[in-house]
Amino acid sequence: MLGKSRIIKEWVNSYSDRMYSWALHRTNNKEVAEDLVQDTFIAAIQSFEKFEGKSEPQTWLLSILNNKIAGYYRKQYRNPVINAGSTGSDGENDFLNTFFDTNGEWQQQQRPAAWTDDTANLLDDAAFTTELQKCMDRLPSNWLAAVRLKYLEAQKAEAICQELGVAPTNYWQILHRAKLQLRKCLEVHWFKK
Amino acid sequence: MLSCRKATELIEKQFVAQLSLKERVQLNLHKSICDACTAYEKQSRLLNDLLKKQASATPDQIAEQENEALKANLLKQLPLD
Repeated sequence: MLGKSRIIKEWVNSYSDRMYSWALHRTNNKEVAEDLVQDTFIAAIQSFEKFEGKSEPQTWLLSILNNKIAGYYRKQYRNPVINAGSTGSDGENDFLNTFFDTNGEWQQQQRPAAWTDDTANLLDDAAFTTELQKCMDRLPSNWLAAVRLKYLEAQKAEAICQELGVAPTNYWQILHRAKLQLRKCLEVHWFKK
Repeated sequence: MLSCRKATELIEKQFVAQLSLKERVQLNLHKSICDACTAYEKQSRLLNDLLKKQASATPDQIAEQENEALKANLLKQLPLD
């Protein structure tokens, strides 16, 4: 159908930069961002008849893209990439053992130190957001996915757990580990410098 | 008496699920005598705030990056006539 092709081509030229930038912001991975944009256009072509000019094309395309991004996180959550020292229940116990001794007390080197109270404008500081992003990238991919899902979707935990088919305990245990690591990373790379 | 390990787990749990009354009482008691876990909770709340704000940026607030190669690839790969 000529009209549809012409319109989609216009959309590629007009909107794909914005879509790519958004997907890159959300996933921090160029290849993944490109794939997600391509998947979005494929989905848009398939459901083009449903669009019918009901909203702005960019709005519609971005909503499809957001669904694709969330799907990517769900896949990351279910299929953890094997990272050194972070798999299996033994790996996870090893992880917690680096923070806590056999009595469950903080290891001396791991005790949270006091941070500055001046935190209101941290996100305006590009140097800080870079460190935050780097710390997030150091997380195992399924932990990062759990963190992303929590804040991206703003869904209730029960809904996330049901959808992923995981026990709630497993979900917040992963968040527990992720936050321990993230907190430590930021303390070392930002707050204690 | 809760261990710090368990206390930090409950601190994270409270952000996604309701603590039981017993858990809530045990956690408060632990925090009242543990500076490290009190600091941990404050910092974890700060992280929640930062992560939430970071996630709530809208597409228009992100600097647009050009990707000519992507556009060319899309026009080539997509099932268009």
